[in-house]
Amino acid sequence: MQLMRRKKKVSANQDHHIEAFFKIVGEKEVLFEDVDMLSYNCDGFTIHQHSPKAVVFPKNTREVAALVKYCAQNDLPFLARGAGTGLSGGATPLNNEVIISLVKMKGLLSVDYENRKAVVQPGYVNLHLTNSISSKGYYYAPDPSSQYVCTIGGNVAENAGGAHCLKYGVTTNHILGLEVVMPNGDIISIGEDGVPDSPGYDLLGLLTGSEGTLGVVTEITVRILKNPEMKQTVLAYFDQVEDGSRAVSDIISAGIVPAALEMMDQTAIEGVEEGSFPVGHPRDIAALLLIEVDGIAAGIDEQIEEILAVCRNNHVKEVKVAEDDAERGRWWANRKTGFGAMGAISPDYLVQDGVIPRSRLPEVLEQINEISRKYELRIANIFHAGDGNLHPLILFDSRNPGETQKAVDAGSACLKACSDAGGSITGEHGVGIEKIEEMRFIFSDEEIEAQTRIREVFNPGNLLNQGKLFPMPGRCLEVKKAVQ
Amino acid sequence: MELEEVVSPQQIMKTAQGHALGNGGEHTVYPETEDEIARILTYASENGKSVSIIGGGTKRGFGGTKDSDDILLSLEKFAGVIEHVPGDMTVTVKPGTVMKDIQEFLAGHNQMISLDPEWPEYATIGGIVASNSSGPKRLKYGSARDHVIGMRVVYPDGRITRTGGKVVKNVAGYDMNKLFVGSMGTLGVISEITLKLRPLPKQEKLVLLSFSKENWEKLRPFTVSFLDSTIEPVSLELMNPALSKKLADIESYTLAVAFEDVESAVAFQENWLVENKPSEMNMTVMEKEEAVSFWKRFTELSPKDPSSSSDIRASVKTGSKNMDVFHLMVEADRLHHESGAAVYGHGGLGHGVAKMYIEGPEDKVITAVKSIRAKAEELGGYAVITHLPLAVRRQISVWGNQPSYFFLLSGIKKQADPEKILNTGRFVGGI
Ligand SMILES: Cc1cc2nc3c(=O)[nH]c(=O)nc-3n(C[C@H](O)[C@H](O)[C@H](O)COP(=O)(O)OP(=O)(O)OC[C@H]3O[C@@H](n4cnc5c(N)ncnc54)[C@H](O)[C@@H]3O)c2cc1C
Repeated sequence: MQLMRRKKKVSANQDHHIEAFFKIVGEKEVLFEDVDMLSYNCDGFTIHQHSPKAVVFPKNTREVAALVKYCAQNDLPFLARGAGTGLSGGATPLNNEVIISLVKMKGLLSVDYENRKAVVQPGYVNLHLTNSISSKGYYYAPDPSSQYVCTIGGNVAENAGGAHCLKYGVTTNHILGLEVVMPNGDIISIGEDGVPDSPGYDLLGLLTGSEGTLGVVTEITVRILKNPEMKQTVLAYFDQVEDGSRAVSDIISAGIVPAALEMMDQTAIEGVEEGSFPVGHPRDIAALLLIEVDGIAAGIDEQIEEILAVCRNNHVKEVKVAEDDAERGRWWANRKTGFGAMGAISPDYLVQDGVIPRSRLPEVLEQINEISRKYELRIANIFHAGDGNLHPLILFDSRNPGETQKAVDAGSACLKACSDAGGSITGEHGVGIEKIEEMRFIFSDEEIEAQTRIREVFNPGNLLNQGKLFPMPGRCLEVKKAVQ
Repeated sequence: MELEEVVSPQQIMKTAQGHALGNGGEHTVYPETEDEIARILTYASENGKSVSIIGGGTKRGFGGTKDSDDILLSLEKFAGVIEHVPGDMTVTVKPGTVMKDIQEFLAGHNQMISLDPEWPEYATIGGIVASNSSGPKRLKYGSARDHVIGMRVVYPDGRITRTGGKVVKNVAGYDMNKLFVGSMGTLGVISEITLKLRPLPKQEKLVLLSFSKENWEKLRPFTVSFLDSTIEPVSLELMNPALSKKLADIESYTLAVAFEDVESAVAFQENWLVENKPSEMNMTVMEKEEAVSFWKRFTELSPKDPSSSSDIRASVKTGSKNMDVFHLMVEADRLHHESGAAVYGHGGLGHGVAKMYIEGPEDKVITAVKSIRAKAEELGGYAVITHLPLAVRRQISVWGNQPSYFFLLSGIKKQADPEKILNTGRFVGGI
């Protein structure tokens, strides 16, 4: 019945493109009715929504290549999509794109413990990898808070980070090989078999973090790591944000490389305690630090003692070490669900993602406070303090006229504060459509052009994920071009 | 316009020709500022002059088929630490800064760039980054690409671009740093580099592990179980017997296992080895100073100067699956005995990069190099020749086969250096 309805609609529209997609992936693997595609109008950045032309679900690289080739030959804009948890609008179909969803390519193709690598399909969920290999004592290090749903293909596109990237590095440090369908439909393979340092420019490094604008990733070889022998986690409460910030610097200066070093402020604590995983943090403190050390068991106590001493030197109000894995797990669940928990204390929230040199933490946090006062919006801070990656969460109510725009402006002001402090506008969520204009905070027109020239090499027709990452050249460049 | 109008005549030297390693220039120019680099490159591109870039010269025998370009741009005098923020654990340096100088400076703050490239006393950070150098400790710390967080680069037409930034985490725009790291100076001249740092380890030790000659094959199963334990070595480098003999007087395949951690963790791991290694396995432990001096000699294995005798020298870097380094070291041993050239080799069993140093009569060296490449390719890897005299480089491909995606590499080169003036011919496929 449903199939018939589809058929009818297609022929009524005379949309031969949809028919062509049917031929490539099969009718069941194509969505093209608006009602069926609603959830594909945006990703986790919901402020901008656009409808796609169709959503197709290829099952293998060959089908992806055929779809891409078809789009290229027929001038149809298209983009790749994983789980759609992106927070900057990377998978939003701005130009009525054909969305190539990789969620059905979700296999773990091989694990090679001796050579410490695993090969996955792009739709494979991040956490599933660690879950599949943990019985052998291995794990996959990059751990975005969304890891229970986001795909490794999406992680590659965004160069995703996570709480434990302080010690172990972000996605780009863990990718050994990629199979990519180029925007013309050709298939290339870089770093085959996980062989390191393929001769040539570092295309793995360039593709990782390119936000789906250079090619569609269809297979990924990642490095897997042995679980550390031991982990210890410390929770420290502070009455002053400055004390917490200073403790962060002092831990780093003591020569300790924690596995994770996270911070939350009072508003954030209010949110997580109202959320689904409260752990009983006191409400009257200004900030908390969640600090994890891992490695050889024999060396852990010494480092924990030092961390406790640093906290005490910085007027910690209360500090404790997790009793066991269960307690550590609760603390992490509370932290990792922090963004969503803001929903419990605010109808809407916007996540920002600035980075600052970690020594500038106190002053930038103070500036964010000022921004909050100026825009009359509450801002919660949950962030990776160890590497200076801030996540101001701007709380707002979209039902109030003009408040959404105010939240967007406040977010932009936070990013300006970060870039003025010598930092960056995004540490892990990407530019997407959200931060396109903010790219100008840190790059000149020429520097942006240097990047779009690289895009031209890979994606000359710019049919793949058009309108993302890069602002249009500024006035001065346009004038220059007009003069020439 | 003449070069003398671009920089002061004292910064220009007419160069003696005929360097055995090639990659020279009619004139050597020593810029002392980024602006001077930009002016020299603008001059070169406007006047159709070709430019070769040199830092400490330790990789002069790596790539390239030209005796000489018009200009040899030496970054030797463009050196020094620009900014070090201990609290941020970042350092910004000029490209001509010698690695050892940076490390000594950082050691004063209990910090380091956790990279162990060849010839730290001569190699400049610019050259290390441009060739993406790494050493045995890559196992834990990664290679140059994992440490660079920002750069300034002068394009061949004199334009200056910044890549990355000064923060340790950054995904704004494409990761353009990666484009220049390992690009062998074919896309632009790196004029400033920001790197992330680590604390100096509180304790370090080096353990050498080997079986007697007859029992060497037990090394592989031992390595597999060692890798599968929770021990966290910083290096797990396998040496062929020739190299092991040369460095440690052990004539058998030997594992160089380094530990860097707090004292109690290092002690525990050393002890773990004592208790868990097979009884017939030999174990030598080197303490801090001794370990440092061992690694220093390690960094000096690769030839950097022309040979002074009639024998020639070569070095080869291979990439393979991690454990295939075993096969490559066996091949190195075979060649050492059978090829008529001496072949010293080591490779990381946890990271898959191996290096081989070959010395002997020209024809024997060429045969050995070709055999190593054949072996690496048979294993699904590759071999890149990182040192050979110019005359021999002209007979044998330095980079091996072009990858199927070569069009992307040449496309990137064309965007950055359309006139092909920079380090031309020094990279994959003649880029
Ligand atoms: C609650 C929450 C917490 C989060 N926490 C973190 C965090 O801690 N750290 C972090 O880094 N991020 C975090 N994120 C952001 C997001 O989860 C990551 O960016 C993730 O990598 C996106 O994966 P995805 O599969 O959802 O990709 P999508 O959102 O579907 O796509 C993201 C981008 O990748 C492209 N893309 C997807 N698949 C492919 C492919 N196969 N080939 C080419 N391009 C592709 C898309 O075109 C798009 O531009 C969080 C998000 C949420 C909602």
